[in-house]
Amino acid sequence: MMQTMRIKRFSVLDRVFHFFLILTFLIQTATGFSRLFFPTTWGKNLNTVFGGYNTSIMIHKWVGVLMILGFIFHTIYLLTKIDWKNLSTSLFGPNSLIPNIHDAKHLYQRILWFFGLGSRPKLGRWAYWEKFDYWAVYWGMPLLAITGVMLMYPVFASQYVPGWTLNIAVLLHRAEAILAVSYIFIVHFYVGHLRPSSFPMNEAMFAGSITMEELKEEKPDWHEQLKKEGKLEIVKVPPPSFSYKVIYFIFGYAALGFGVYLLVNGIIYSRYITLH
Amino acid sequence: MQNSIYIRKTIAWITPLTLLISLLLPALSFGQGEEVTSYINRYKQYEVSTGYYERYEMRPKFESPLVKKFRGLDQKPFAYSSTSAIVRNRSHLSDSHRGIKFYDNRRCEECHINETHDIHTVRANLTCRQCHGPEPIASINHYYSPMNPIRRHAYVCSKCHEGASASFASYIIHEPDAGSSTTRTSFPALYYSYWFMLILLAGTLAFFIPHTILMGVREFFRKKEDK
Repeated sequence: MMQTMRIKRFSVLDRVFHFFLILTFLIQTATGFSRLFFPTTWGKNLNTVFGGYNTSIMIHKWVGVLMILGFIFHTIYLLTKIDWKNLSTSLFGPNSLIPNIHDAKHLYQRILWFFGLGSRPKLGRWAYWEKFDYWAVYWGMPLLAITGVMLMYPVFASQYVPGWTLNIAVLLHRAEAILAVSYIFIVHFYVGHLRPSSFPMNEAMFAGSITMEELKEEKPDWHEQLKKEGKLEIVKVPPPSFSYKVIYFIFGYAALGFGVYLLVNGIIYSRYITLH
Repeated sequence: MQNSIYIRKTIAWITPLTLLISLLLPALSFGQGEEVTSYINRYKQYEVSTGYYERYEMRPKFESPLVKKFRGLDQKPFAYSSTSAIVRNRSHLSDSHRGIKFYDNRRCEECHINETHDIHTVRANLTCRQCHGPEPIASINHYYSPMNPIRRHAYVCSKCHEGASASFASYIIHEPDAGSSTTRTSFPALYYSYWFMLILLAGTLAFFIPHTILMGVREFFRKKEDK
C-alpha cells in the first residue's frame, strides 16, 4: 500500500511548461546546430532536414519568439505564485526556488558523502542542483532572447546600440547555447535517466508525482515539513494511468535519443567550429 | 636753432649706428616663418594636403570598438612621429595595393587568409570583390573610398542590408580572434565576453559533470550495499 501512495510534486502547468521547453529546446538545438555546424558535412545534412539553410533559420526565429512568449508567461505565473503578504517566507522559505544557506550546506555534505566522509544531506523540496537547473534556464533564456532578437533585426538594433555589439551578440548567443546544450544533454539527462536512483527515467516531471518511498529517500526534509504542516494527506494523488505512462516513456526516450544524437555529433564536429 | 641742429646730428649718427648694430643681432623670429615651421604645423599641413591622417579616423570614431589609442603614446608632447604611427600607410592610399609585385597574378586569399574565415565569407559565400569592389581597391580609410566609415554603410552595407546606418557599419566583419591577447587591446569587449563565457562554460561543466558522475557511482554502490 505504501508503495502505491503518491505525493504531488508538480502541477499540470509546471509539467506543461517543462513539456513546452523540451519541444522548443530540441527544435532550437537542431536548427541552431544546423547553422553552427554548417561548414561541416553533418551540419549541411542537418540543414536539409529542415528544408535548407534559410528555412532552418526561419524555424529557429519562430520557435525563438515562441520561447520568449513562454518565458514571459512563465514569469507572470511566477509572480502570481509569490505570497506578497508573507514575502520573506515566500522567497526564502523551504518551498522557494531561491538558493539559500542550506543549499551550500547540502553541497558540502554531498561532497563529503561522495568520499564516504559523512551521511547524505537531508534535502528539502528542491535540491541545490534542481535550483541550479531552474535558474540556469531562467538567466539563459533572456540572454539568448535579447541577443537573438538583436541578430534577427540587426539594422533596427543598431539604431539603439552601436553595430559592433552585434559581434558580441553572436558570441554570447553561441556560447550560451553551447553551454545550455551541453549542460542539458550531459548533466540533466544523466540526472534524469542514468542515475541509479532515477534509472530508467525520473518520472516526476511527467507523472507529476513521486512515490512515498522516493519522497522519504530523496527528500526527507520535505517529508518532515509536509508531516509537520499536516499536508501529507492533502498532497496525495492517484498514480498515472498505464497508457499515459507508455506515452511519456516513449516521448522521454525520443527526446533523450534526439538530444544524445545532437550531442555526440556536436562533439565529433566541435573542432570545426568556434565560439565566435 | 642750436638745439635742433644738435638733435638732427644725433639722429644722423644714431640711426645708421643702430642699423649697423642690428646686423650683428640674431634674426627676428617672424622672419623664420617662411623658411621652416614647427614640426607639428608641418605635419598638419601635410595631412590636409595629402588626405593622409596618421593618428585618427574620419568617422565614426566614437562608435568603433577598436582601440586606436594606446596608453602612453598619446601623452607625449609631440604625438606625431614616424615611429609612433599606429596604422600602416597602406590604409590611406587611393590604391592600397600600389607597388606590390606581380599583383595582377595573385589572389586575395594568398595574403588575406584570415579575412576568409568570417561569417560573411563562410556562410553567405560572399567574395571579396562584392564588398571591396573592382581594381583599384582604395584603402579603407582613403577619403574617397566607398569603404571609408563616413559612407561605408551607404555604399557597401546597404547593398544587402537595406537601411544600414553608420552605427550598423561599425560591425566588425573580419573579427579578430576573440581569445587572443592582441584582441584584448584592439577589441576588449569581445575579448572579455569570450573569456567570461568560456570560463562559465568550462567551469559549469567541470563542476557538474564530476558531481553527477560521483553521485551516480556513489548511489550505485549504496544500492548494492542495501541489497
